[in-house]
Parts: sequence; structure tokens; C-alpha cells
Amino acid sequence: MASATPPAQGRSPRLSDRGLAVAFISPALLLLLAMSVFPLLWALYLSFTDYSATRGGPARWVGFGNYTAILASAQVHQRALTTLLYVVGAVGLQTVLGFSIAYLISRRTRGRGLLTTVFLVPMMLSPVVVGLFWRFMLDAQFGVVNSMLGSLGIGPVEWLTRQRTALVSLIVVDTWQWTPFIMLIALAGLTAVPKYLYEAASIDRASEWFRFRTITLPLVWPLLLIAVLFRAIEAFRLFDLVYILTNGGPGVSTETLSFHVYKVAFLGFNTGTASAYGILMVLVVIVLTQLYLRYLNKLKED
Amino acid sequence: MGVSVNEAVSTDPVRDHPPPARRRGGRGRSALEVALLTVLAIVMLFPVLWMIETSIKENRDVYAIPAKFFNFQFTMDHFKDVFVGAGGGRSALSVSFLNSVVVAGVSTVLATVLGVPAAWAYSRFAVKAKKDQLFFILSTRFMPPVVVVIPIFLMYRQVGLIDTELGLILIYAAFNLPFTIWMMKGFVDEVPAEYEDAAMLDGYTRLQAFRRFTLPLLVPGIAATAVFALIFSWNEFVFAIFLTSSDDVRTAPPAIAGLIGGTTVDWGLVAASSVVFALPVLVFAYLVRKHLVAGVTLGAVRR
Amino acid sequence: MRHPKRKGRPFLPGRKVRLATAAMLLAATTLAACGDDGKDDGGKASAPKAPATIPELTKDPLTLSFIWFEWPPAQALEDFANAEYKKERPNVTVKVNTVPNANWHDAMFTQFAARKTDFDIAILDSQHIGEAVTNGNILDITDFVKGNIDVNAYNPYLLAAYGQFPQAETGKRDENASLYGLPLLGDTWTMIYRKDLIGDKPPQTWDEMISVADKCQKDNPGVSGLAFHQANGSDAAAVTYNTVNGVYGGNLWDSKTRKIDGVLNDAAGQEAMDVLVNKMKPLTATGSGNWFIDEVNAAVAQGKACIAFNWIAASGGLLDPKQSTLGTTREQILGKLGFATLPSQKTNLVPLGGMGMHVSAYSAAANQAEALNFMKWFEQADIQKKWAAAGGVPSRTDAIESPEFLNAGPFNKVYADSVSRMRDMWNVPEYARLVDIENTNVNAALNGAKSPKEALDDIAKEQQGVLDSSSRKGGDGL
Repeated sequence: MASATPPAQGRSPRLSDRGLAVAFISPALLLLLAMSVFPLLWALYLSFTDYSATRGGPARWVGFGNYTAILASAQVHQRALTTLLYVVGAVGLQTVLGFSIAYLISRRTRGRGLLTTVFLVPMMLSPVVVGLFWRFMLDAQFGVVNSMLGSLGIGPVEWLTRQRTALVSLIVVDTWQWTPFIMLIALAGLTAVPKYLYEAASIDRASEWFRFRTITLPLVWPLLLIAVLFRAIEAFRLFDLVYILTNGGPGVSTETLSFHVYKVAFLGFNTGTASAYGILMVLVVIVLTQLYLRYLNKLKED
Repeated sequence: MGVSVNEAVSTDPVRDHPPPARRRGGRGRSALEVALLTVLAIVMLFPVLWMIETSIKENRDVYAIPAKFFNFQFTMDHFKDVFVGAGGGRSALSVSFLNSVVVAGVSTVLATVLGVPAAWAYSRFAVKAKKDQLFFILSTRFMPPVVVVIPIFLMYRQVGLIDTELGLILIYAAFNLPFTIWMMKGFVDEVPAEYEDAAMLDGYTRLQAFRRFTLPLLVPGIAATAVFALIFSWNEFVFAIFLTSSDDVRTAPPAIAGLIGGTTVDWGLVAASSVVFALPVLVFAYLVRKHLVAGVTLGAVRR
Repeated sequence: MRHPKRKGRPFLPGRKVRLATAAMLLAATTLAACGDDGKDDGGKASAPKAPATIPELTKDPLTLSFIWFEWPPAQALEDFANAEYKKERPNVTVKVNTVPNANWHDAMFTQFAARKTDFDIAILDSQHIGEAVTNGNILDITDFVKGNIDVNAYNPYLLAAYGQFPQAETGKRDENASLYGLPLLGDTWTMIYRKDLIGDKPPQTWDEMISVADKCQKDNPGVSGLAFHQANGSDAAAVTYNTVNGVYGGNLWDSKTRKIDGVLNDAAGQEAMDVLVNKMKPLTATGSGNWFIDEVNAAVAQGKACIAFNWIAASGGLLDPKQSTLGTTREQILGKLGFATLPSQKTNLVPLGGMGMHVSAYSAAANQAEALNFMKWFEQADIQKKWAAAGGVPSRTDAIESPEFLNAGPFNKVYADSVSRMRDMWNVPEYARLVDIENTNVNAALNGAKSPKEALDDIAKEQQGVLDSSSRKGGDGL
């Protein structure tokens, strides 16, 4: 580096900072426009038609017909309720568990690194691997979960084939995979709480719970909220775990909105309806994302 | 609520003799906490251990009721089946692993090549509506894949990208780009802009200053970012299953999912291929453990 | 061997990647934007016609690609074709692409939708023909069949089931209707029963079968009376209900008036659903509500079922000692397992399974010619017998009755005896939606998420809605 002689000024036509910024940013934006924005605009257009990807023929303009049909459909309401139950159940459970684990870990001085690493393994696995393996473990006949319950004298549980247990199973598996996510972020927040605050509190002989409530939680809360919102968005989009674990069953009782969109789009190839359905989902995601970004922005400014 | 809990705590008899009780209670509580953590750690790890154990069990023991935890017949056949096909040649599964390597690798390179300069530009220059642009970029990452795949499918069929590795590479690159930009912007922010200013005083152009002085300092950050992009692409399932269909193009996640639903299910093989599939991810994740928080929040949270 | 069309798009290193990508994406964007409706015009599309005679074949190396789902017959077909067809056409290699069963319909029809297929011959389920023909995805081979195939060598219904559209009446073939495919693999359900538990003689009626299973379950703790398909994916639970529906004298629909509501859920249909949910389901294993082919096979192989129902083409693995706990040799296993045609009740109908070969409308001319030649070759009497010996299920009557076939497996006799008893589902473009509605609802009824009556009425109502949906304005497919 030192040996390099600085080039003569103005030997080559210099790119202005502005030009450089454009040259560096535009390829990335172009890719995003082509692969994210353009497809969504196209879907927006299709959502007002009865276009089908396989049947061919010109697309007929149906105005808001797809939207009103979707919003009025009892089938869709059922999937929305399933998705809501799933999101609230899974994210709620993960938050409580993840935060508890993080809190416990943050109180340890030794073995923290090892513990954190161990807890993080599930999060790194592909949903395919997670789904398949839990399907094996939850098998009513030879699954290890029922085998262990059996040795405790609890009869075989139909984890994946009963209406209630199937949704619970989905929530449990998702919680297993994503509790580490909440834990990781909560841990980052907990370790960032300045020690002197606790020391001051312990001089005051404040109770543990009081310290937790007045010092720890307020400081970790903003970060935790971001983690929760992030998970909520991801959970709202859930598809792969359902596809592998229950295939939406029994009946359609574990079909999420994403799974239903898939059926509309690829079983009947009702592309227009599926596009409208998708756009409605995107609207929900945009609202959630806006919330997320707003909190993120606040966090960054603090 | 809070008040009543506080009152309950403050009327606790332990509070009457603080020093000894707290020490004794503290030790007991500490032991309880360690025990709790151990149990939780076992619960979290058990499925993974069970997967590894199943991958080295004879099929008869895989289906044993009650489940066999220790005295099972050991075999490496399942791992052999992952790589060697029924006829003796390469198995379809091993081809899919190779496809995954290509798709994840190239898409990561593409996202990095596009994302790092953009992140640098966002960090260094006064770009119009910078915050809006950055938030827009991140929000594209949150679109439900099942929804995006519908227009992408129509788009790809016009240009012949259905069932091609290039098609997957492009969509993965586009999905990893927001992450790369956000994550890298954080790393660039940490390199003082003064380095470049000083170099420019020496007569380097801005571009040269970036290439010769900033870029080398970013290498560890680029590596960490690339590893995360690699993991996301490697694990991706939804686009893969809808945009590919032939053995030659299919990546590992749909191939592994396809192991069930035939005429027989070989859970030993499912376990072995899952282990082979997950191992590189775990190794890579371990390598970037310092950056995990930033990585899993798509670069949004940095601590 | 890789398919030439897909062969590696080169990756330019470094900076060029950016430029190339940007350029390509721009092109993609523009093309996609203007190409939206352009190619899809033409109102009601119909299938393009295949030539009546096989065009001249290429002498260059050629890969003839099939698409099927992942199961043993797919491998058997690839091995068989490469061994035998190569004798006639040494420059041709046959490749059978396989996809997961759950993804089979989607994988074929997304490629059809893309107007570009990586296969030359699609192996469609018999009920997929309507959708493929209506969309113009496969060739009309009526003229080709007239000139090249001996149609009298087949049971007319088999020929119709795997090729004719519009659908034939059960048991018949309409000689004036067009043909779009030829049989590849015949199939139906077989009853698999434990000779050591219920005796050598299989039950003859459905009611008898249920009571035998009930007794067997009571006498043998740990063994369940029945095992059958209940899953909500593919066509699993739907075929199960349809089978019971047929046996108890029900009808899936009135094809002439396109009426389902009031036909499917008539008294016979209700009785069939009641038998399935209230008499058969209690005899199955706990948690069997998501079982399909593989799980039923596993239950039989592990000795956990007295009587099971499965597709014949998927039953080969049951005789493999490596996968079975019933014996260490094929003979030992056969000492315990019996295979029989389905019991009858009010009718003796059995489900039609299996698939035909259909030529992709989007494959290259040379490949289409080769595909036609392959089909002509495949449907010859001696080749059909060899296919039977190699583990396939033929469709030509002479091959079905040949010793090569009947001796190849204990269940092949079952197939031969079932041919005249077969009934198919609806072969209409809306098939995928119809079968999904039936699958999910039957699965719901089997798992207690809906009452039998509610489930059956929902099926009838929703399916009718799909058939009638063309008049609606928006919201199709919900």
C-alpha cells in the first residue's frame, strides 16, 4: 500500500461522487425492481382479472370481483383465523420462552458461549429438515415423542391428525425452531444493560422483581419488540412447515393463508384470484413491516 | 398487577434476615436455574441428536416400539445411500446437493457483488431520500414467497427461466440483496470515512480510495455477510419447489422433502441426508457466531 | 446426461456479471411486460394434432424424457426402456424424470403453463387428461392411433381411460371420441390380507371384510384390523371414499348434466361415508389419519395390519425381506400375505389407477417423432409381455393374460381379474380442484374434524360450485 505512488491528478476522467453513488446503487436497485417490485405490480394488474396461467385465453377484467369474493369467502376467513391463532400462539410462546432462556443465560458467568451455541442450532436448520424430522418424531405409531409419553403411561397422542393437536404441533415445532431467535436478540439486549444500574438498585435493596421490571425490561423491551415483530411477519408468511408437517390437515384445519394461496394458484391455476389474495397478504405484511421499521428507526435514533 | 406481586415479595419472610438467607437462597436458586437451563438445552438439542442417531440406525431399529435409545444396530448404509444411487452411480440426492452448492454459491456471489458497493455508497454519500430507499429495500425481503412466486413464475416462463439454475440464482440473489446491503452498511459505517478522505488528499480518486483502503478492511464483514446469504439460499424451499422440476436442476431441500411420499419411506435415509444437509450450515454458522444477531435480523439490529 | 436445452448458462466473472444481469433483467422485464397475453390468445385452446404416421426419425443421439413421480415403476420403466428400446434405436437414451408424488400434478402443469417442458412424454394420471387437452398441452393422437395401434387388442375401457377425452362412460369406449394418450401402466387396488391371521380365504363382501377385520383386531393385540389411504394430499382419501362409494352403489356425479350435488350425497353416498367413517376408521391404527401408500405398506410389512388396501403397482416392496418383519425370504412372506380382488357389496366396482403416456405439445419435433415411435414400439404384444416381466402392469389383453405377467407377482392375477370392474373419477379440466375438495373433506371426516354427513354435503356443494363457476365474476378457485 505504501509503495504505491499516488496517480497523477486528473489522469483519468473522475467519476463524481454523485455519479459513483448512482453507479454503485443502481444495479442493486435494478435487480430489486425487476425481481420484487415489477412482479408485484404485475400481480396487482392480474388481481383485477380472471386470468389463468394454464387455461390461456385473454384475461377478462373483473374489477374488484376477486377482492370482494376473497374478503367475503368463509374459506378465507377460516384460513385467516388459523393463521392468526398460529402467529399469536407461536410468537407468544417463543417470546416467553426465548426471553426466559436469555434471562437465565445472562445470569450465568461461565459456559455462556457454549450454552448460546447449543441453543442456536435449531434456528440454523432448513424448515424442510425441521418439518420432516418432527413429522418422524411426532408419528403416532413409532414416533419417539409418543414412545416417551408411553413409558410415562400416557396413551398415544395423535399429534398431526387431530384438529387441535395438529395446530398445537405446528406451534410447538415453530417454537422449537425460533425460540433461539428471540433468545439471541433478548440476550443481546440483556448484556447491554449497564451494570451500574443494577449496582445502584442493589444498594437500594430493591427486590429482584422490581429491578427486573424497572431496569431490565424497559431497556430490553425495544429490542425485544423488534424481534417479536420480525417473527410475526415471518410466521404470517408460513408455508413450508405446513406443507411438510400436516399438508394442511386434518381436513383444512392447519391450512394457513400462504398455503391456501398456493392451492388457489397451483392446483386450480386461478392466477387472478391468487394474485388478489396475494396482494391482500402483501398489504398485511406492509403494515407489519411499517411497524417494524418504525420501531427499528426509533431504536437507532436512541 | 405489578404492585400486588411486589407486595407479595416484600412480605416474604426471607427479607427479614437479608444476608444469610439471600446467600443460601441464592445458591439454591442458582442451582435451580442451572438445572432449568440444562433441561431446556436438552429439549432443544434432543431432536438434532435423535436425527443423528436415526441416521446411523438399522431400519428395523428406526421403527422399533418403544424407541431404542442405546442398544441399536449401527450402520453407515444410510449415508452411503445419500451419495450412491440404487444402480451404483451417483444418487439423485447427491446431484441435488451439487445443485444446491452451485445455486447458493453463485447467488451469494451475485448478491455480494451488487450489495457491497451499494452499501458503501449508502454509507458514504448523501443520497436523496436515503432512509426511504433503505427501508424500501428491506421491505422487499418481507414479501411472502408464495405470493411472489406467482408473478415470478409468469415472468420466468416468458424468458425461459423456469426449471433453470439461473432462475433460482436470480431470485435468491434478489432475496439476499436487502440483507447484504443492510448488513454491509453497518460494517462500512464502522470504517472511518477519514481513511478515504486522507487517501484522496494523496491524489487517489474516491473509487481507488475505496478499493485500496476501505475494501480490505471490509473483508471480514463481507465474509460474514456472504455466509449468511449462503445459509439463506441453501435452506430455501418455497421458490425451489415451484420453480424447478427436473432432477438436474432440483436443489437439496425439495429433493429431501421428496424422500417421503413414495411407496416406502426410509426414515434412516431422510435422517442421513438431513444430517449431510445441515452439517455445512452449522459449521458456517459457528464461524460467524460473532455476527449472529446482525445476521438473523437481516442486518437491522447490531450489537 | 443433461438435457441440451438446459445446459449451463455461462457465468461471466467479475464486473461483467453485473452488466449481464442488469441487461438480462431489463430484457426480461420488457419481454414479460409486453408478452403477457400475446401468446395465450386463441380463446378455447385445443390440442394440436400429431401426424398420422411417424415422421422420419433422427440418427443423432437423442434423449427421450418422461416425467413421473418417484416410485419403483419409474425406475423400472427407465431401466426397461434403456435395455429394450435401445435394441431398436441405439442412438436414443430414455430418461425418466421423477418428482415427489405430492408435487406431480403441479410439476407437470407448471411446465405446461410455461409452454416449455423438460419432458417429451408426460405420464398423466387418467383424470389429468381433460385439463391438459383443454389447455392444448398434449398432442391429439387419434389419427396416429388409427394407423399404428391395434385398438382391438385392448379392453376398450382401458384404452379410453388412459387416452380418451371427453371421458368415456364407465366400462366403455366411444370410438368417435379423440384419443390423447396410450396406456403405460395399469393399476387398481388390491386387498392385502394376513393369511396367518384370518385364514386363506379372503372375505367376499365388504361387510364380511369389516367383520373379519374387527375380529382379527380383537384377537391380535397390537395389530389393527384395517389399513388404507386417509391422507389429504394427492388423491389419497378421495380414492378411498370413491371406492367405498362405488361398492355401495353410489355415483360420483352425473356426467351428462354435470351434477354432483344431490348425486354424490344421495342415500348410497351417505351410506358409503357412514361405512367408511363409522365402521372402517375405528379398525385402523391410532394416528393413521395421514397415511398414504408408504405408510400402509410399512404397516403391512411390520405385521401391524390384518387387512390393507393399496395400489398394486406400489405393492412390490411388500415381498422384499429387507423391508419386512414378516419373514426372511419371499416365500415366507408369501406364506403370510394374501392378495385378492376387492370384496363386493352392492356392486363389484374397483378404482381405476395407473397412467398413460402423452406427448408434450412443447417438445421439439424430433423428440415428438421419437415419442410416437416409442409408444408404437411399447404397445406391441411381445414388448408388453417383456414390460410385464420387468415389473410393469400392461394393458393389452394378451399381455395381461400372459404367463409372463401372471407369474411376475402374486398381485398380478388380482389386476387381471379387476380389469372389467374398474371405475374412474371425473376426467375434467377442474379435476385438481375437485379432488382437493374431496380429499380434504374425507380426511376431515376420518379425523373427526367434520361429521360424515357434513363432510359429504360440503364435498357435493363445493364441487358443484367448481363445475358451475364459469358464470362467476371473480374469485374463482377459492
